[in-house]
Amino acid sequence: MNTVIGRRSAYVCRSCTRSLQRQLRRTYASAASQPDIYDVVCVGGGPAGLSLLTALRANPVTAHLRIALVEAQDLAKTRSWKLPANKFSNRCSSLTPSSVSFLDQIGAWSHLERDRVQAYQEMQVWDGVTGARIEFDWAQGSTPAAGTTIAYMNENLNLTSGLLKRMYELGGVSVFDKAKVERIAYGEETEELDLREWPVIHLSGGKQLSARLLIGADGANSPVRSFAGIEARGWDYNRHGVVATLEMEEEGWGGDHLKTAYQRFLPTGPVAMLPLPGNYSTLVWSTTPANASRLKSLSAKDFIATVNAAFRLSPTDLEYMHTQESGQAEEYSWRLEHTPVDHRAVPQVAVGVQEGTVASFPLKLRHADTYIAERVALVGDAAHTIHPLAGQGLNQGQGDVQSLAKAIEYAVSHGQDIGVTMSLEPYASERYAANHLLLGVCDKLHKLYSVGSGPLVPLRSVGLNAVNALGPLKSFFMNQAAGNGIKVF
Amino acid sequence: MRSSLRHAPRALRTAHPALRPAPWLQQFHPQQPQAQPPARKLSTTPPAHHNPPSPTSSSVNATEISHFSALASSWWDPHGPSRPLHLMNPHRHDFIQACLASSPQPNPTPTPLRYLDVGCGGGIFAESAARLPTTASVTAIDPSPQILAVARAHAKRDPSLGSGKLTYLSETIESLPLPAAPADRFDVVSVFEVVEHVDYPAAFLDRVGEFVRPGGWLVLSTIARTWTSWVTTNLVAEDILGVVPKGTHDWYKYINEEELRAYFAGKDGVWGAPRVMGVVFVPGFGWKEVRGSEKVGNYFLGVQKVG
Repeated sequence: MNTVIGRRSAYVCRSCTRSLQRQLRRTYASAASQPDIYDVVCVGGGPAGLSLLTALRANPVTAHLRIALVEAQDLAKTRSWKLPANKFSNRCSSLTPSSVSFLDQIGAWSHLERDRVQAYQEMQVWDGVTGARIEFDWAQGSTPAAGTTIAYMNENLNLTSGLLKRMYELGGVSVFDKAKVERIAYGEETEELDLREWPVIHLSGGKQLSARLLIGADGANSPVRSFAGIEARGWDYNRHGVVATLEMEEEGWGGDHLKTAYQRFLPTGPVAMLPLPGNYSTLVWSTTPANASRLKSLSAKDFIATVNAAFRLSPTDLEYMHTQESGQAEEYSWRLEHTPVDHRAVPQVAVGVQEGTVASFPLKLRHADTYIAERVALVGDAAHTIHPLAGQGLNQGQGDVQSLAKAIEYAVSHGQDIGVTMSLEPYASERYAANHLLLGVCDKLHKLYSVGSGPLVPLRSVGLNAVNALGPLKSFFMNQAAGNGIKVF
Repeated sequence: MRSSLRHAPRALRTAHPALRPAPWLQQFHPQQPQAQPPARKLSTTPPAHHNPPSPTSSSVNATEISHFSALASSWWDPHGPSRPLHLMNPHRHDFIQACLASSPQPNPTPTPLRYLDVGCGGGIFAESAARLPTTASVTAIDPSPQILAVARAHAKRDPSLGSGKLTYLSETIESLPLPAAPADRFDVVSVFEVVEHVDYPAAFLDRVGEFVRPGGWLVLSTIARTWTSWVTTNLVAEDILGVVPKGTHDWYKYINEEELRAYFAGKDGVWGAPRVMGVVFVPGFGWKEVRGSEKVGNYFLGVQKVG
């Protein structure tokens, strides 16, 4: 399971390679269980971990670091991931232009299957109860220098596969995949070395890796975070995100060159239809666990009818349809006749759902108390989990990685030990406040629109219409979505 | 002499007059500062208000060494009294890089580099210099065996510092043997936060300068003796707030940039024109390069050996 890819980059540094080799020789003679010493050990081969390692390898300043990746899954499968042009994975994410520009900078973007990536230029967001609407189009906002693209829809597997291809192209990462982290402990003191503050990662099969810097890119239930004793606080939304790959009647109202993302706030949570290439779209529907399991049990025909209803019928109609065990298709066509719909203001009609793509996952908000500890840094979902309504989760992780790679580069070029908190502080101070702000805004939006009646409802529709009328504020929101404006208010 | 430990709170004090100094700083000094900052010529003879120096050394003071030794354990605590020094360290490298990059061409600086760090203390600079890929070796000296024990124990925590790239020696600059061949001397000799604690700075710098190879650089940092540093470290901290006993600061030992310029210019073409960078401590941020601030407070100065 241990494959050292590409050219083996040797070292913590040239001189200590010698001391390492000396030590290893002694080690093999005495006990075979002595740990291997790495500058960076990353636990987790998802988008955040792979981007970080690729960024470190792509930068000449950090390329000499000795790096290991630990991942539970079989990365060969991810790397050779391939789907026919008319099939799409159900796990898609929105990539902001700033994430894309970072991926391009580290040489990974060109390794994605680009014809499977869909840019979109407009957003339609409206309140399902009152109909109040924000139209996010550049014509009324200010066009940013980056172009007119708000974001890119992309399959997560396309990203991880592209990152792996780039990482293998660069070489120099020791990959331990299909490997389970059994435990993480601290090192020991010998005559020559004092590694009592260095984490040692014990893998299934007995392999041990000593880490100058241990990266927790290991997801929401991060074992690295637990090891570091960092609490992650937050709450569950009691909502599930239902995802599916849908076939639409056409390529969208604007054809292939002007794609639109749609999101409607329903009292149970937002439902979003995001464009994929051709006449495909990906669905992200946040709803109650009961509704989610009902949706997953429906026939294709009834599922599609319920999705079309979610963008067109009143919340009351929809609520009724959720109570039906079947027959949503008939119910929908009957109710639609009695509902006035501006067809060009909602997504085109979904006509099919790809088999096996309807799935769901629980939604929660979590934020770690800190991102760093001595010789530990957390990135991506290990540091924060966000409500998907703004499509920012993966982009936050990319922002983390970009910032951490910069902090490591600075530390290396100034002779600092990259594992000590002194070296990691710039990362934590740059990212914590920005992430906290975005987590909070998305959380408040979710809660605001989860209310179906009462005084909040007219107030919030005034809010949405007011937002629509205020050009500068709206362009701020758009820039936020496009990742141009993730700044403190 | 000195090691950088003592300097941490001192450096801070230039920005934070009210900061309470560590107990080892509270060395009674009987003479009051004059109202006007006096001009100073670097001298090889002791000023009247200084403690009598040890007879064999221009730099070492036994009382100070014992102060540093008592504080050795906090040297590497990033949130302890040495935090300003930790934050200062990257700027030292930036300054050295700027000096090396500016070298006039007759003696282009070869890599990898050999460093001598004088007054290395717990090894904040020495360790970082040894980690750089452009470094061949670092020799770091300090007169305090206790501090060097801390430095050695800390270096043991990093496998990349093993195998002879970093050597700590319990020496003063006077006791360190001078390599006979000029080419075997050092590419970079660093003297960070040291000269302001030295009794005979001119004699000290004369000796330090001998260790620089032709074409190499002598790089130092210290504090200017100005109204600002007098007000912040003496008047406010000692006389007004009274958080520091009167006479705590050896403000007279602070050395101005123009005094160092005059010293190096007086060496008959041995040294090139000095490069200078002033830095200011900004609470909650760290050190910031501020043009012209070398006239006011903390500053770096580098000279290349051209003659």
